[in-house]
Amino acid sequence: MDITKKLQGFISVEQLKIEVLNAAYGNTDTTIAKLDSRTIFMWYVFYAIFPWLTHSWIVLTGMFLMLVAMIYLARVSYLLLFLFVFGLVGQGSMVLGVSLFFGGNLTTILPLLMFELKLAIISLAGLIAFSTMEPEKLSDGLLKIGVPAQVSFSISYGYRMLPTLIEEYHHVFMSFRLRGKAPDQHGLLYWRTVLYFMTLIVKSFYPLMLSSAKRARTTVESLESRGSLYSFKNPAVKKVKLGYMKFTYKDGLFGLFNLLYVIMLFMLAVALH
Amino acid sequence: MSLIEINHVTFQYPGATVPSLSDVSLNIEKGDFIAIMGGNGSGKTTLCKLLNGLIPHYYVGDIEGEVIVDKMKTLESKVTDLSGSVGYVYQDFENQLVRAKVIEDASYSPLNFGYPDYLERGKKALEKVGLKGKDDEYIWELSGGQKHLLALAGAISLEPGILIVDEPVAQLDPQHAKALYDVLKWLNEKEQTTIIVIEHHTEFISEYCKNVVLMADSKLIWKKSVREGLTRINELRERQIYPPQITQAAYALTEKEDRTLPINLSEATEYFKSFNLTECFQPYLTPVPNHTGEKIVDIQQVDFSYKMISRQKKKILKDVSLTIHKGDRIALVGNNGAGKSTLMRLMTGIEKPEFGDVLLKNINTKGVAPESFADMVTYIYQNPEEMFIEDSIQADIEYFLKARKVKDYSETVEKIIDLFQLREIKDRDGRLLSGGQQRRASLAIGVAMQPSLILLDEPTANLDIGTRKHIAQFIQSLKNEAEAVIIATHDMQLVSEWANRIIVMKDGQIIHDGDRASVFSNKALLNSAGLTPPQIMELSQLLGTKLAYSIEEFVAYAQESKEEVTFDGYYKEAARVY
Repeated sequence: MDITKKLQGFISVEQLKIEVLNAAYGNTDTTIAKLDSRTIFMWYVFYAIFPWLTHSWIVLTGMFLMLVAMIYLARVSYLLLFLFVFGLVGQGSMVLGVSLFFGGNLTTILPLLMFELKLAIISLAGLIAFSTMEPEKLSDGLLKIGVPAQVSFSISYGYRMLPTLIEEYHHVFMSFRLRGKAPDQHGLLYWRTVLYFMTLIVKSFYPLMLSSAKRARTTVESLESRGSLYSFKNPAVKKVKLGYMKFTYKDGLFGLFNLLYVIMLFMLAVALH
Repeated sequence: MSLIEINHVTFQYPGATVPSLSDVSLNIEKGDFIAIMGGNGSGKTTLCKLLNGLIPHYYVGDIEGEVIVDKMKTLESKVTDLSGSVGYVYQDFENQLVRAKVIEDASYSPLNFGYPDYLERGKKALEKVGLKGKDDEYIWELSGGQKHLLALAGAISLEPGILIVDEPVAQLDPQHAKALYDVLKWLNEKEQTTIIVIEHHTEFISEYCKNVVLMADSKLIWKKSVREGLTRINELRERQIYPPQITQAAYALTEKEDRTLPINLSEATEYFKSFNLTECFQPYLTPVPNHTGEKIVDIQQVDFSYKMISRQKKKILKDVSLTIHKGDRIALVGNNGAGKSTLMRLMTGIEKPEFGDVLLKNINTKGVAPESFADMVTYIYQNPEEMFIEDSIQADIEYFLKARKVKDYSETVEKIIDLFQLREIKDRDGRLLSGGQQRRASLAIGVAMQPSLILLDEPTANLDIGTRKHIAQFIQSLKNEAEAVIIATHDMQLVSEWANRIIVMKDGQIIHDGDRASVFSNKALLNSAGLTPPQIMELSQLLGTKLAYSIEEFVAYAQESKEEVTFDGYYKEAARVY
């Protein structure tokens, strides 16, 4: 068995579907998932803005470590983590390479590394915030903070359609393979095989788009007759729908803990200087 | 005043050249259970969309006449005003489900109308359709039958007085279809819901409905009681609608077209008693496996499971062994979820077994890409749309041959286009064709690969009965195109008329492998695998006569025994005289 086949087994469309759905709907029983979505939004905004306001390595590293611990608590899916690490390492090494190439040294690299660290904090916070909330919770939260109902509905509907679309994509992809012809030789560094699969991956999207457009007809009719367009304009619906959302002592504790932690980091930074 | 009044309605879709409904008038009373029959394009669906206001508010076309539903004039009301009165279950019901979780979808309408008790309403609807306890499941974890029930729950969550269900049987296996109709019956009897179904399966109509409407060419031909409607044999046949088999048999024997013809099984058993059919002991036949011919597929102790979203494994096939020989025409039968499609996909090399081996012409599929089996095996998908990867039928048929740089491929393609009668539509996109045309095109794509083995997944599903008969003829001709053909199907008529070997599956295992006599004579097997034999076969079993696989056989047998009886009579008469 050669490498391509092992890889095929590992990165199968089925596996992708499982990972994506787990990222969206899995781990709803963690401590963080039980918080109100508004708390999570505020927490995220704090972590997205605050890193830009400081230059302290201690504060930034502290925040980063905190997030790593939270990643563990929130049980973020492996797929997302993999993408995160891949992106970070890829971009980091590129920046490093470029700066060294143009004659940089440690003093030029350090600010770049700090910039990378800030980026890492923001993306990790985003990962935690958005993968710990189910799409439904996310869309309800957005609705609560005043985002139009159409947008929040699109988010939850988009996720509902994901598995269907992935499955259909899989079928089309298999149609290509069942009637196509793989290259006889792999070529240098498997380039022929890679090219063959790349072409199929792209080509398989076209039939998918056409059939999605077709199936949307029933969906839109059904939305119309089940009153969803009507509900977008009805404030009473929003009230009924979001009735379950409320802050509890957990939200308070979570906020307090985060605040204290950041204050502690600052004190530490001041003390060490 | 009737619950529904349609007065002289003519409707034309924007851009269409002819009206889809012309001068249609119909009254439906409260508490009715009514079926609408008619060929493709006769205006059935358009008529139903008139009732929930999608026409003319969503499809803005030219409309004349008046529609009153539940005392509301639909032309003057909004779609949302009618939502409380009319529930609608679509033919492609999966696209009707818009939320991720079962309870969310069931309570979606009540939520949209701002009912504070929307969750209770959703739960109540789920309980009515028999999905209690599934509240927190995700819809992609449901089976096809459960999805249909959920669509139904969503439609009745506002407790509408009218419920429209578009072609329920076409999408479901016979057992699930029956379960759905039982729910509809309950709603009709216990909650006085008026039920309107679009239906071609006259066996279901005669069992569940009270009245029936016939439509053709955008016109409403008549509305009659079920008994009166279904016994108009010749008129129905002209319109490509087939009355229940037993009604047809009775008509063939008496040539009297009137209300005395039986329309359901219990009536038929009474009716045919007067025919004094000779009883015939049907011995239980043991399967005789056929081991002649070259081996094409060899499946050895195969297990298969797939990973669910929870990352747990679900077993689909358990220790399946099977050999397929040249000349086999196999029908693979069993309920949805029995593992039929998986077994077929293992034979294409797309899926590899978890344990065990699959050998295609002595090549193990393990470690070999599916492309290399494409010369040998063709798999024709249940949903033909997933096979259209090019933008015209012709390009799709050519794809395989072109990829292999076959010389003179155009000759082969031309031949196949003619064989499957695709000449006129060869340049059109497959997705835009009608159901029957799509099936024909998908068969043509498969045959163009000139395989040794053709696998067909539910080739006659989702088709109206006229088209189904048409497609069945093409399937008959496939046996000349390949060394072996396997069809997974619920269509027992196709099974009994076409297959020379029947494999019955249940819960991931093969529970029977034999010919049609051994399957259909075994009542216990039929029950346990959830197979519903054709009605005429059931009748011959109930009457204790020779097992008849088709109406013609039954009629011939009945005529024979009649002659015997007459002959018997002459003999006795002669004995008395002498």
